Amino acid sequence: MLSTVQNPRFLLRQCRHFPPKRRRFHSSTPLFLSQPQTLASTDLSSSPPQSQILTIRDNLLNRRTTAVELAQLALTRLRITEPQIHSFISVSETVLREAEEIDGKIARNEELGPLAGVFVGVKDNICTADMPSTGGSRILENYRPPFDATAVKRVKDCGGIVVGKTNLDEFGMGSTTEGSAFQVTANPWDVSRVPGGSSGGSAAAVSARQCVVSLGSDTGGSVRQPASFCGVVGLKPTYGRVSRFGLMAYASSLDVIGCFGSSVADTGILLHAIAGYDRLDSTSSKHEVPNYTSQFMSISSLESKPLKGLRVGLIRETLDDGVDKAVVSSIVGAASHLEELGCTVTEVSLPSFSLGLPAYYILASSESSSNLSRYDGVRYGSQVGADRLNSLYGDSRAKGFGPEVKMRILMGTYALSAGYYDAYYKRAQQVRTLVQKSFKAALNENDILISPAAPSPAYSIGEKKNDPLAMYAGDIMTVNVNLAGLPALVLPCGFVEGGPAGLPVGLQMIGAAFDEEKLLKVGHIFEQMLKGYKFIPPLLADGIAC
Amino acid sequence: MGSRALLLLKATTAETLLFTSKSTFSKALIRNSTRSFSTRSALLPPDLPRLAETARISLTPHEVEEFAPKIRQVIDWFGQLQAVDLQSIEPSIRADTEGDNLRDDSPETFENREAIIAAIPSYEEPYLKVPKVLNKD
Repeated sequence: MLSTVQNPRFLLRQCRHFPPKRRRFHSSTPLFLSQPQTLASTDLSSSPPQSQILTIRDNLLNRRTTAVELAQLALTRLRITEPQIHSFISVSETVLREAEEIDGKIARNEELGPLAGVFVGVKDNICTADMPSTGGSRILENYRPPFDATAVKRVKDCGGIVVGKTNLDEFGMGSTTEGSAFQVTANPWDVSRVPGGSSGGSAAAVSARQCVVSLGSDTGGSVRQPASFCGVVGLKPTYGRVSRFGLMAYASSLDVIGCFGSSVADTGILLHAIAGYDRLDSTSSKHEVPNYTSQFMSISSLESKPLKGLRVGLIRETLDDGVDKAVVSSIVGAASHLEELGCTVTEVSLPSFSLGLPAYYILASSESSSNLSRYDGVRYGSQVGADRLNSLYGDSRAKGFGPEVKMRILMGTYALSAGYYDAYYKRAQQVRTLVQKSFKAALNENDILISPAAPSPAYSIGEKKNDPLAMYAGDIMTVNVNLAGLPALVLPCGFVEGGPAGLPVGLQMIGAAFDEEKLLKVGHIFEQMLKGYKFIPPLLADGIAC
Repeated sequence: MGSRALLLLKATTAETLLFTSKSTFSKALIRNSTRSFSTRSALLPPDLPRLAETARISLTPHEVEEFAPKIRQVIDWFGQLQAVDLQSIEPSIRADTEGDNLRDDSPETFENREAIIAAIPSYEEPYLKVPKVLNKD
C-alpha cells in the first residue's frame, strides 16, 4: 500500500535542516522516488506527460483520426465520469457540429488554429454567449450573456471547442467548490474529497480527462490550489496579461483568468492563445506576448544539467508549523529534483508573508461588496417581485446569493464604511505595498521562488464548511502572489497518503512580472525529468485515460 | 489524511493569533480579539442589520444569528493589521503591472442589443419595470 513516496529519512528530519540564506540547499541523501502511483500501471519507466494538444493536432493533420471521432470519444468519457465528478454545470450542445466544421477545414486543407479540435472547459464565471453563465449562483441561474469573454473568443478563434461550463464556488468566493449553488464537484483522486476551489470544476475536468485544458480564474489561489489538489498543472498569469473582459468581477484588483492542463506544455499553449492586450479591459497590459509555446523541448535534446545557473528561492515561511509534514516533504523533494537539474536552491524569507492573508481578505471582500452590487434583479438575473424598489433589491439578492457571498459582502461593506476605510482597506493596501516590495527584493536575488501551493492535500467534503477562518487559512500559500500581481505555475510534484491511490501535491513556482516564459520553461523541464510518477487519477485506471 | 492546518499568524507585536482547528480555535481567537478591540481601536463591532440595509440584502433573523459570530470572528482577525507599523508606506491600489489604457469617451453601439433585452426580468418596451420608489420607508 502506498506510503509517502520520499525517502523515509526526510520524514524524520525536521524542516529546520534548511541552511540560512546564501548557502546551498543540500539534500545529502539522494531522493528516493518510488513506483508510479497508479492502480493500473506497473510500468516503472513511466513516461512524463505529453502535450495532448500537439498529439491531437498531429493526429488530425495526418488524418489518423477526425475531430468528430475525438469529440465522440471525449463525450463518452464525460458521460461515464460525470456522475461521479460533477464538474460541469452545463454541457455544450454544439460540440459535434463544431467538430464537423474542423473536419471540413482539414478536408479543404485550410489552416488550423493551434487549438483545433481541443476540448476546453470554461469556468462558469467566464461569459459564454451561447451557454448559460451562472457564476455558480442562483442569482444568475439562467442568465445568457450577450457576449463571449475575450478569453473565450480567443479560444474559439484558435479552433478550440468549448465543451461546457465548469462548477465553481459562487462568484469565485471559496476554496473547495462546495460554495456552488448547484452541485458539489468531487476530486477525481478520491470522490469523498473536494477538488479545491474556486475553480474546482475546471481542475477536476482536466484531471479526469473530461477535457484537454480548461480556463479558470485566480483571485487568491483559485487556479493554483485546485491544480495542486487535483494533480494537474495550473497557471496564474501576471495581472493584466490576460483580458478580464467577460470575467464576472469578484475583486477587480486581484482577479485574473488562468489555465489548467495535464502538462506544462498544454497549459502554455492555452496561455498563448488567450494572452495579450484587449482594448475592452482597461487593466490589460500592452506588454509584448512572447511565444509561450517555443520552449517545450523534448527531453532527449536536454543536456545533463538543463537548468544550470538558475537561482531558486525556497520561501522559508511556507514550510513553518501548520503545513502538513508530508507536503513539506514533497516540496523538499521537489527542491532536490531542481538541484539535480542544475539549479541553486537557497532559502529566502519574505518578511510580510503572514500579513498577506488578512490583507487579502479585507481587499477581496471590500471589492466584492462593490462588484456584486450590480446583481440587483433589475437588468438581468433572477428577480423577486416586491412593491418597493429597496425590497426588490433586498429580496432578490437575499434569495439569489448563498451564505458565503452574503457574508463577504457584509464584511466588505463594514470595512468600507465611513470611518473604517482607513483602519481596514487603506491598511490592507499598505500591506500590499510591503508584499510587493518583499517579492521584488527576493526576485532580484532569485530567478524563481518556490513553495507549496497549499498547506495540505485535498480536504474531505464538508470538512471546512462551517469554519470560514479555517478555510481562509488554507489560502496562505497563494494570496501574496495575487497581491503582488505576479505569475505563478503549479505542477504536481509528489503524493501524500490518502484516498485509494494517494493524493497529489503541487509545487508552486513564482516568477517576476510577465516572466511566464521562464516559469513554463522551468516547469516543463521539471515535469519531463521527474521520474517515477504518473499523475493520472484512479478513476481513469480502467483504460479510458488518454 | 494529512495533519490539520495549524497556522501561526504573526503580528509585529508579541501577540499572536493562533489558528487551531475547530474547538480550541475560537477560544484562542476570542481571547485575542477582545484585547484587539479594547486596546487598539475605537471601532465598533459590526452591526449586522445596519450593514444588511446598506448592502441591500434582506437577511432573515435566523441568518443574522448565524452570520453574526462568524463575521465578528473574521473582522476581529482583520483587526491584527491595526498592530502593524505602516507609517510612511504608500497604499497600492493594485499591482503595478498593467498599463494605463483609457480609451476615448466616444459611445459605440453594441451589436447584440436583443440579447441584453432578453435578459431583463421585467421589461415593457422601452422601459425596465421596477416597483415605485418611495421617499421614506
